[in-house]
Amino acid sequence: MQLSNHSYMQQSILAAYCRTGEYQPLTEVNEKHVHQYRRLIYNIIDDSISSAYPLTSNLLSSDEWNKLIKDFFSGHSCISPQVWNMPEELIAFVENRNYYLIEKYPLLLELLRFEWLEVEVYMMEDELIPACNQHGDFQKDELLLNPEIRVSGFEYPVHLRNASEIGESDKGQYYTSLHREPDTGKVIFTDLGMPHVQLIDSLYNGRTNYQQMLEIFYRYASENEAKMALDHFIKASLKSKLLLGFLINN
Amino acid sequence: MVGIGYRKDFAEEFLTSNILNPSFIEVAPENWIGVGGFWKKHFTQAIEKYPLFTHGLSLSIGSPDDLDYQFLGQLKKFLNETNAEVYSEHLSFSKCDNAHLYDLLPIPFTEDAVKHVASRINEVQNILERRISIEIVSYYSPLSVELTELEFVNAILGEASCDLLLDVNNVYVNSFNHQYNPKDFINGLPLERVNYIHMAGHEKIADDLIIDTHGQAIIDPVYDLFGYTMKLLGRDVPVLLERDFNIPEMQELQAEMDHLAYIKSKTLIRRKDAVI
Repeated sequence: MQLSNHSYMQQSILAAYCRTGEYQPLTEVNEKHVHQYRRLIYNIIDDSISSAYPLTSNLLSSDEWNKLIKDFFSGHSCISPQVWNMPEELIAFVENRNYYLIEKYPLLLELLRFEWLEVEVYMMEDELIPACNQHGDFQKDELLLNPEIRVSGFEYPVHLRNASEIGESDKGQYYTSLHREPDTGKVIFTDLGMPHVQLIDSLYNGRTNYQQMLEIFYRYASENEAKMALDHFIKASLKSKLLLGFLINN
Repeated sequence: MVGIGYRKDFAEEFLTSNILNPSFIEVAPENWIGVGGFWKKHFTQAIEKYPLFTHGLSLSIGSPDDLDYQFLGQLKKFLNETNAEVYSEHLSFSKCDNAHLYDLLPIPFTEDAVKHVASRINEVQNILERRISIEIVSYYSPLSVELTELEFVNAILGEASCDLLLDVNNVYVNSFNHQYNPKDFINGLPLERVNYIHMAGHEKIADDLIIDTHGQAIIDPVYDLFGYTMKLLGRDVPVLLERDFNIPEMQELQAEMDHLAYIKSKTLIRRKDAVI
């Protein structure tokens, strides 16, 4: 590096001030205006994180939210060169620090993960989608799972209810999938039970015929109930584009 | 050529109406690398219709940190895949001590910083296998002053084989904030290196401070400085209208672009007449 230690220190001190708000005198700056950098940068960070986590920012009081943003930006070195991607780093910060608000809001981490999942699915790179038929017989033809999908499990029903109304008595096993609707790019949430999760996992990992899908559902319900539940799920999923159609067999 | 910064705010209307007619569009690669879905679809349609210029945000050419080679790889791929005609970046730093700050901080105006930044520009050009343009940024305080701003910029251009993106609004903002004559500043630049011009609005927040917000319409003194610059340049250079906040109706944006095109053509025609 051809930069002198003096120049480096000036940059380092200014950068640290922008992150922490704690001003350490710099000899050659305009003291009256240098604080604009802290203000402008803090606004960028706050705006980006607030946009990514609207439910979390609503759940926390404004003091708690502001402290979270300040603690995050001063205590964490943001690694993403893409500002839209930076808010993901808040999750690891809260988790790794066992951030004090987790005690007050036990669902905090799950809420952050859930909110980021929506951003991730909305923004994720396009997957190659094989050609498929829109019409077919799902009892005979193989189904094509939308590859632009994420499935996640939660202890709290953060995908179903307002976070402020969720308490410890709601604790359980919840699953949801988020997939991107191919034509509009919209993210669609589907509340799932365990058989649905296993079915999606099976489709994701390879071709699965109707009989194999039924066998997954048989583990959780009687023969008739399993068939009804599976057929209902397939029809609804074809409609929502969680399933894109029927594979074309070459 | 007069282009416009392509914003998600008007992406849909932009494609479905003929109100806005830029010669090219400009995006920040950081906002589009790794992005799919709805926005990718619109972006792909936009670059099928218009030539693409790019203006980076996170390269942090003035950073004391090492260059981010992984990011440079992604950037190179993006520029090649989108057939970007121009890639420009800011003469500033936005990352220090391995932490991104997501805004443009001033580089110390020092001799050692000149050598540091110039060698990084040359390295980036080698990696990207293209010539890049460097933009003089607005700044609200100097950081360390061995050289004047003009000496600093010219020393970098003397050592780095890059082009110059002349942001006329930034020159105006800096001349106000740091009390110098903007025309003298422009006179002192190696104008033969200018390959791209940016124009934007700003906000005066105190009697002695303007912030470069890109959130207002261009004001007349900045249009005047643009006309002055075009007269000195005496050649056609692509000009971009930047508008990042408080996005108005597209008719207003087009009117600003029309005004830029008018000033440019008027200046160049007069010069041609003078030569004849």
